[in-house]
Formats: sequence, C-alpha cells, structure tokens
Amino acid sequence: MLSVIRGGRVVDPTASRDAVGDVWIEDGRVVEPAGREPDRVIDASGCVVMAGGVEVHSHIAGGNVITSRLLLPDLYVSEASPEGHPFAHAGGAAGWIGSTYARMGYTTAVEPAMPPTHALATQLELADIPLLDRGALTVMGNDDQLLQLLRERQGGNAVRDLVALSVATSRGLGVKCINAGGASAFKDGALRLSLDDEIPVYGLSTRQIMGSLLDAVEEIGVPHPLHVHCNNLGLPGADDSFVETLDAAEGRRIHFAHAQFYAYGATEGGGFRSAAERIAQAIADNPNATLDIGQVVFGQTVTVSLDILRQFAGRKGAKPKKWVLNAGDAEGGGVVPFLYRPRGPTSSLQWAIGLEIMLLSTDPERTILTTDHPNGGPFTQYPRIIHLLMDKSERDREIATLPGIVGERSGLPGLEREYTLSEIAQLTRSGPAKLLGLADRGHLRPGACADVAVYRDDTNRTAMFTAAKLVLKDGVPIVEDGEVVEWRAGRTLSLSVESDPAMAKRADTYLTDRFGAGLDSFAVPDAAFDADADTFEAVPCRA
Amino acid sequence: MAAWVKGGATDADTAIGAAVSLLAKARAPVIAGLSADVAAIRAAYDLAGRIGASIDTAGAVGTYAELGALSRVGAMTSTPAEAVGRADTVLVVGAAPWHAPLLKRLTGAKPTRGRAAGADRTLLALGAGSEGSKAALSCPSAGGLAEAVAELRAYAKGHLAGDTPRAELVARIAAAQYGVLLYDPAELGELGVEMLQGFAMELNETTRCFTLAVAGPDQDRAVVPVAAWLTGQAPRSGFGRRVPEHDPWRFDVARQVAAGEVDAVIWLAALPVDRPEWLAAVPSVALVAEAEASLADVVIAVGRPGRDLGGVLWNEQRAALTYWPASAPTDLPSAASVLGALTERLAEGRVASRSEPAC
Repeated sequence: MLSVIRGGRVVDPTASRDAVGDVWIEDGRVVEPAGREPDRVIDASGCVVMAGGVEVHSHIAGGNVITSRLLLPDLYVSEASPEGHPFAHAGGAAGWIGSTYARMGYTTAVEPAMPPTHALATQLELADIPLLDRGALTVMGNDDQLLQLLRERQGGNAVRDLVALSVATSRGLGVKCINAGGASAFKDGALRLSLDDEIPVYGLSTRQIMGSLLDAVEEIGVPHPLHVHCNNLGLPGADDSFVETLDAAEGRRIHFAHAQFYAYGATEGGGFRSAAERIAQAIADNPNATLDIGQVVFGQTVTVSLDILRQFAGRKGAKPKKWVLNAGDAEGGGVVPFLYRPRGPTSSLQWAIGLEIMLLSTDPERTILTTDHPNGGPFTQYPRIIHLLMDKSERDREIATLPGIVGERSGLPGLEREYTLSEIAQLTRSGPAKLLGLADRGHLRPGACADVAVYRDDTNRTAMFTAAKLVLKDGVPIVEDGEVVEWRAGRTLSLSVESDPAMAKRADTYLTDRFGAGLDSFAVPDAAFDADADTFEAVPCRA
Repeated sequence: MAAWVKGGATDADTAIGAAVSLLAKARAPVIAGLSADVAAIRAAYDLAGRIGASIDTAGAVGTYAELGALSRVGAMTSTPAEAVGRADTVLVVGAAPWHAPLLKRLTGAKPTRGRAAGADRTLLALGAGSEGSKAALSCPSAGGLAEAVAELRAYAKGHLAGDTPRAELVARIAAAQYGVLLYDPAELGELGVEMLQGFAMELNETTRCFTLAVAGPDQDRAVVPVAAWLTGQAPRSGFGRRVPEHDPWRFDVARQVAAGEVDAVIWLAALPVDRPEWLAAVPSVALVAEAEASLADVVIAVGRPGRDLGGVLWNEQRAALTYWPASAPTDLPSAASVLGALTERLAEGRVASRSEPAC
C-alpha cells in the first residue's frame, strides 16, 4: 500500500529538511515521491512530522526492574485497561512501557543492562513490550571468567572471543560495562573504586578492563560503541572520573551513559557544583565520544543499577527507607528508592546540570536525551524536558521557583539557547539511531523504516510531545490522537555475531564448573518465544 | 489428547467446550497453581486479565514470606553459584535448607573465587534440629526460629551482649570474609525473613554477608518475575476491576473458596505440585501433566515442560529462568496452547453475546 503523509512540517536534520512537505511510505519503508496516486493520504497540515523516537538508555526490563516493582508496588498509577490489551495501563508493566513510549512517538527502545547470566529472562520480558522494537546491551566487566583471562594476560583475541560469545549467546545489540571491576571489588570488601585503583584478587584496574572491552568491541565491529558507566557515579569530583575515562579511551569510540551524574565538580565543603561546561567541552573536543544525559526530574523514583558499589553507598539515602542489593552472579545489582525533592537544593542543582549539558552541546547528535529511566526520573518526562530546552521563558519560570543554588553553582540561568525542532530530532532521533548503528532509523530519507511520529504543532511542547497525533510503526498506524489503535508486536534487535567454537567449548567447561550448568543454560533460543511471532531481527556488524 | 468431563473420557474439543461454558458463567473465577512454564504463566495472565479472574500460586506461603519482607525492608541477597564460589561461612537457618541440593555443593568444595578463595568453608546452624550435627556450631531455636534470628540481629547491632552460643554464632559469621545466610522462606516465615534481612544489612556494615533462599518445588520463582513484568505487580492479584489489584489476603484462593467467593477455578499444574484440598469444593478445570479423571469437573492433560515439550522454567541451580528442551517428546498439547484456546473461545462467546439483540 502506498501512503503519503501530506502537508506537515517535515523535520529531518539528516537531510537538512525542515519545511512543509510530504513523506511517502510503501511496504513499511519511506520511499521517494512515487509519481502515482497514493492509496492512503494522511493529512498532516498544522503538524510536525519526525522519524519515530529512539531510546538508547532506559531500564525497561531485567532483574533490577522486576525487583523495583516488588519493592515499590505503588510507584506508578494503574488505570483501567484499554480494549485489546489487558495490562497496557498497568503502571510500570511491559504493556504500559510500550504504549507510553508509543504515545510519545517513540518506536525503538534499548534496555542498557542485560547481564548474560539472566539474558533469557530479560529477553522474554523485552518481547512482552508491545508496539516498540527493542534491544538490550550485554553487560561485561565484572565477571570472573573475563577477569581471569585478563589476569592471566591471555591477550586481546581471547577477550574478543569471549565478548563475541557473550553477545551472541545473550542476543544483545551491543556491549556495556558498568563500573568495570566495581562489583567484583565490592564483593571483596571495597567501598570505592577509581580508574586506576587495584581490584582486589585480580590485580587489575577499571582502565585495563574497559580498555580490553573497547578493543574487543572495535575488533568485532559492534556498531554501537562500548557503552560505559564510569566509576564514582554521583560523587563530587565525578567529573574527573569522566574526563579520565574519556582520556583512557585514547581515541577509540566510547559512549558515556547518564553524563549528568558525573558533571559534579567538587567544592571545598564536600559538596559539588556544575561541571557541565567541562563535560560539554570534553565531548566537543573528542568526536569519538557520545553521551546520554540522565536528566533528573523532581519527584519520587527508584534507582536501579548493576553498579552495586554505588548502590551500596547510596543505600543510606534511600527514601522510603528500604532497598535491595543483590550480590549476583558477575555483576550484582541494587535497587534503592529515591526522592528528588521538589525544590530541594541538591535535586535542583542536578536538574540544572542536565539541562546545562544539553544547552552547551556543540553537537546535539552526540548528546542523547535520557533520564536513565527510572534513575533520574521516568521517561514520561521527556516532553517536559523538551519543552524546557525549546523555551527559555519556560525555563526561567521554573528556575524562579527553585533555590538560588541553581544560579550560584550552575550556569543554567544565563543560557539563552532555545533548541529548534531539528535539534530536538537530533537529540531524540538521528543521534540515538546513529549511536546504535541503526542506519534505517532516526530519519525519513528513502529506505528508512516507516516509523513516523506526527505531532500537532503547539507552543506547549509538553502537550505536543506527550500524545502524538499519529504514530506509524513500519507504516502501520499504532497511535491516533494520542491513543493506541493497533496492538502489534515489535521485534528485538539483536547483533549478528559469529562466536568462536573453541571459546564456546572453553566457556562451557568454565560455566559447568561454576554453575553446575553449561552454556546451554545461558542460551536465548527461538523456541522460548511465541512460535507465531518473529521476535528477533538481526543487525549486522560493521564491515 | 487425554481429557475428561465429569469423570468421563472425551476428546479435546468437547473438554475445551465444557471448560468454556464453566468459565463463561463464572463471575469470580480464579486461576491457581501456575506450576508451569513461562509461556503457560503468560497465557494464564492473559486469560485472567481478559475475563477478570484473580491469580494465586502453588508456593504462595513461601513467596509471601519473601515478598512481604521485601516490600517492607528490602533485602541483601546472593546466588547459589556465588555462595558455592565465594562463601567461607554459611549459616543454615532452620531445618529445611539442610535437604536442599545446594547443601551438597556447599559441603563438597572450598570457595574458589574472591578473597576467601582456598579457605575452609564453615557451616553454622540455627534451629537445625537433628541436622545440626553437620555444623561446626549449632544453636537450637527454642522459642521460635524468627525470634532466634531476631536475637542474632540484636547481638550484631550491639543491643544484646554476653557469652552465649548465639553470640558466638554471630561472632563467627561476622568474622567471615563472605558469609551466606541460607534459609527456606516457607519455614522461616515473613517476620523471620525480615529479621534475617536486617541481620544481613547489619553485618554488611563491616563485612560481606548475604541471604540466600532455597526455592520450593513449585514454579513461583518463575511466576513472580513474569507477573511483575506483565502487570507491574506480584501474584495474588485480581483483575475483576480491569486494573491489577495486588492483595495477598483477598486473593488467597484457599480463603476465597472457604468464604464462598469463587465460582470457578482453573488449576494449572503442568509440573507436579500437591493438589489443594479446596479444589473439590468449586467448579473446576484442571490442566495437568499427571492427569486423573476425578481431579476436576473438566480435566485436560497437558505436556510437562522439559519432558513432553520444551519450555522456560525456573532453574534452581542457576537461579535463573532457563530453557529446557523436551527430554522425551510427546504430542500432548502445551498448557499455554490450551489456555490460549480457552481465551479465544471465551472472547468469541463474549462477542456473540454482545451482538444478540437487546430486549
């Protein structure tokens, strides 16, 4: 079927397009203007037309997310289910995640933390998120098998083969390291770890572990650069960790997760001030690097992280006062409820710093909008954040309600910049799609997936981006007037990667010894998923 | 396919038809047991969500001892492989964990990873009964297991002091490089689990020590995560008002049946678990691997995952959901496919009844 979205303001920064025009769609793809009568005309006059949103870092599945639901059953509000899906309005559930993202015009979302030991559960959960295409990053960097290889100096090829095997077995889309060595160090009694500190028992450092993973990701040709959660998240002086980590990448591609939580320059009294300028400058100077924000929003949330070292330290700030730490296989994890106190001085400064990094960015395509859901706050706040980026007077109104520390310790109040729609598209579409290496997403050029969001143009950007007028997934309308109209399943994007049979054999022996069950018990087989659904879609490695 | 209606053998279609009529009349149906693979658990939730049923599980006693404590104070936990690989001291709480397969792995080897690697592993016991002889130090739990754990916690916190066996127990576990507190939640109970988590949290002020629960014979460890991702809530939830309502008292099926609140039950046990006594008291449909004609009003034999057909199950040794291929494939239907057929037929029935002219 040939369709045309007619007369909307088409915003596609990858084609330098920001003007009223048409978008043609056939067989689930964007096509050149066809020169023949369309079967369907979608009137987009008065609307803004963008590619579907792409999420790179949102905790939407996995053991920590499950635990957070059990720890805080009342965090989200549930409403009566809509026709067609029994749980789509069940707050925090998979159906709610899929439908809420879709209503905002997002069509792809990536869970950034899938431990290989629990890949099957994570992938089953992701597959139950409707409407969106999904993916997950395979977490490495704390597992004894990898650390042993490094300790014994078995060389880059062995690390490469183990990384490839882990990604292939877990069916990940990329690789992430989380405070590399930190979970291992925690289990051996450490309370803090910096880039060059020695990790007990192994005699390694974060620098060595991360460096080996950076190399492995390049050698395998993983399209998404190594996704790095640095040491010392959230501590005053974490900006040093950020910059040292960037230097340690030595020009290799690297993605920094939730950079806001590192943009904390230490002050003399043990507090922090904004290091947004330093972070933004470091990214501007290093074209090999990207970041996502981890914007803080005010209110109750729950922090979920495999960074058990950080979560252990954070347990004393839990609000309400309960928390779960799982010293799990390899990574471990922690779930700590947290309140970003409305108008509180610390949370206000954190809020300001995230916005400041985005407003100082010289390249929005390498600056991705996230709240590190739910760590900085829920992803449902994206429309409000976009509003603040696009509207200086709206920012001023909010700043006026906040304590003076925002002006004293951050540069936010002095920033005049207002994001354009094209820049918003870079922040939420083309940037994240490029970062994930998904060449047919994040833009509207011929050949793109027909994942399209149509918004009513409205100076109230919060309202505009909360409920899209129309969302197409693979050319099929899934949202109309802000409501889901078609409950279809997306696919899980999974990297096609060859694994070395010799490494598979070694791993099987190692795992059997450690777990009493071999590599098969770590597998994510097609047979575990609905037989009538095409759950996985292969993403090729870089040539 | 083996199927029975009111004790008489019949074919699949007739049995599914009988199950549909039984459920279509129900105003307060329950799906219980859920001793099944992930696909069947998902199908059970989908059906419950669409017909407004509530859900309860076979292992709810242990599950609620865990979940109640978890939502009140949280937890500090480890895994079986981490306990085997890292623990130099294991405190076995109660008698039940002594029979867990993990005990053999713990007694058969020294820790191999982390700072305690190569050390001897010490087993300590609290309330072990006759099993305590295997431990290096064994304290009885006269006065109750939960109370005994509370006392350990008080020693750790410094609220109690003295030269007692329990103080010695605490001193030994506090001196561990990596301690593990092994327990069975069904035996320890909710208050006891809460005390044990508090004890672990206290110990971590100075060393590393984590709790580890042994699972029951049911599939509750699979149901809990699936329930959480599908509905945002733990099991013992109801969908009669079209929002998931989580209420461990209200949706306790044994209580519901005793109170006369239930008018139809689907008993799902694709893996064997003890049959509840209340099953005979309500109109019932049983989807079971070990089928007997008299088990329920409608009985449909389904394949046992991991034997007759493949499926994702809780793997206690791995402490994860893993896929089990069929070890001896048969053509018995999967529980998920039978539940799917029920859902479809019930939906057709609802559409048909809605399209009848109003009088």
